Amino acid sequence: MAHAAEHAIEETTTGLNHRKMLMWIFLGSDCMFFAALVATYMVYRGQSITGPYPIDIIDVPITTISTFVLLCSSFAMVQALSATNRDDQRGIRIWLLATAILGAIFIGFQIFEFNTFKNEGLSLGTNLFGATFFTLTGFHGAHVTIGIIWLLGMFVVAMKGRLGPASSLDVEIVALYWHFVDIVWIIIFTLLYLIAGFDTGPAALPGG
Amino acid sequence: MSSSHQPEQGHHPTFMQYVLVAAILFIITIVEFFAIFPNPDLIGAAKIPVLAILSAIKFAIVIMFYMHLKYDHRMFTMFFLAGLALAFIVGIALLSMLTALDGSPRAFASANAIPYVEGDHKVEHAEPAAVPIPTVPPLVTTPTESVAPDVADTTAPKSVEEPAGGSGAAVSIEIGTEGDALKFSEAALSAASGSSVTVTFNNGSAVNQHNWVLVQNGTKDAVATDGTGAGPGADWIKPGDDRVVASSKLLNPGESEAVTFTAPAAGTYQFVCTFPGHNFTMFGDFTVN
Repeated sequence: MAHAAEHAIEETTTGLNHRKMLMWIFLGSDCMFFAALVATYMVYRGQSITGPYPIDIIDVPITTISTFVLLCSSFAMVQALSATNRDDQRGIRIWLLATAILGAIFIGFQIFEFNTFKNEGLSLGTNLFGATFFTLTGFHGAHVTIGIIWLLGMFVVAMKGRLGPASSLDVEIVALYWHFVDIVWIIIFTLLYLIAGFDTGPAALPGG
Repeated sequence: MSSSHQPEQGHHPTFMQYVLVAAILFIITIVEFFAIFPNPDLIGAAKIPVLAILSAIKFAIVIMFYMHLKYDHRMFTMFFLAGLALAFIVGIALLSMLTALDGSPRAFASANAIPYVEGDHKVEHAEPAAVPIPTVPPLVTTPTESVAPDVADTTAPKSVEEPAGGSGAAVSIEIGTEGDALKFSEAALSAASGSSVTVTFNNGSAVNQHNWVLVQNGTKDAVATDGTGAGPGADWIKPGDDRVVASSKLLNPGESEAVTFTAPAAGTYQFVCTFPGHNFTMFGDFTVN
């Protein structure tokens, strides 16, 4: 048995790192979680019998900006991983912090949006639109918030100089989670804002 | 664990490739934005397929390059795509179960709904799904909802009152709903002018609230629109609406109410359910001879 060959491969039954595999399986299952919420939104689309309706309150330009912010954060995340692999300590800290800050800005946009909607009369209990909209975007916001906390934790570790090529996998796993949050938002943004953001009252039928 | 990652390094994208990926994502988002803003109908019916494809491209780019699936072991891709495929099945199952069967929205859900009555939680657990409509007998009493004081009707539970003025015979009319459909069981009713008419409205729906409102001819939609503004507390009827001749309260599923009034001057009137949205299908003519 050649020891050199074993050195390069994880000593697991699959030859793959189990932590990374666990994250991918989790992300696959999280797809189903969000699919259920998205489908619920689509089932109840156009079924609200009282306002406010999407066209009354959805602000597509503002949300496009927050979408850009989240895309930027994904770019910062890949730079953080790249810096980790290069053992660029300054780069690790800057890019991790940048990712967390951009995520926080996205959450800031969401808090602003939720607050505006509340002031215009839409709450979780107002109508089916409010119930399904806040449930879906709220759970996404919760995912982002967890990601920010995770990133800040990694940033603290980085400040102690304990991140580097040896801990590349730790950064890679948080990166997978963070990018997943980004792709979920790509779907939500398209469906709830670009497609359904102009829905009017009960007469609006799904597919229009 | 640590050394295992090293062999992959050469396959990760370079800085410029990451910048390129970010630029593509930005450009697609900008294209999506201008496809629907400021004019949401700019590309018409192509909107949904175009936006879906553009988003799918963004989705694929992120998982391939940012999440390295393109460079990583194929098994990670399999795990994720399996979850994604199941997610699609979840979505399609929910949508087809609740919106598409029978071609009419929520036909399946309506047909199988468990009756829910506000304030009576025993019923929703006791009644199995898919019961035929006119069961739920314990509810044929007075409605539990509060009623606005100035709704212009004279109501009496389940009994035909003698005519107050005595200028005509007493007429008793029964009307229900067509199951859970947004329709009354009768398309036309009639009575002689001056007679004392008692309309007993049975809300046979297992899921929907309804009322029965007699209005001046041609005003059913306007009355319903104003009723929407008045809200459920006013039984979806604008208080003091002078186009309303007679009306029931807002009845929960399974409830019924007798509405007694004196038939107005000869002519055609309309009856309608003013629950928001119901007025487009749930109405009929009331002819006074």
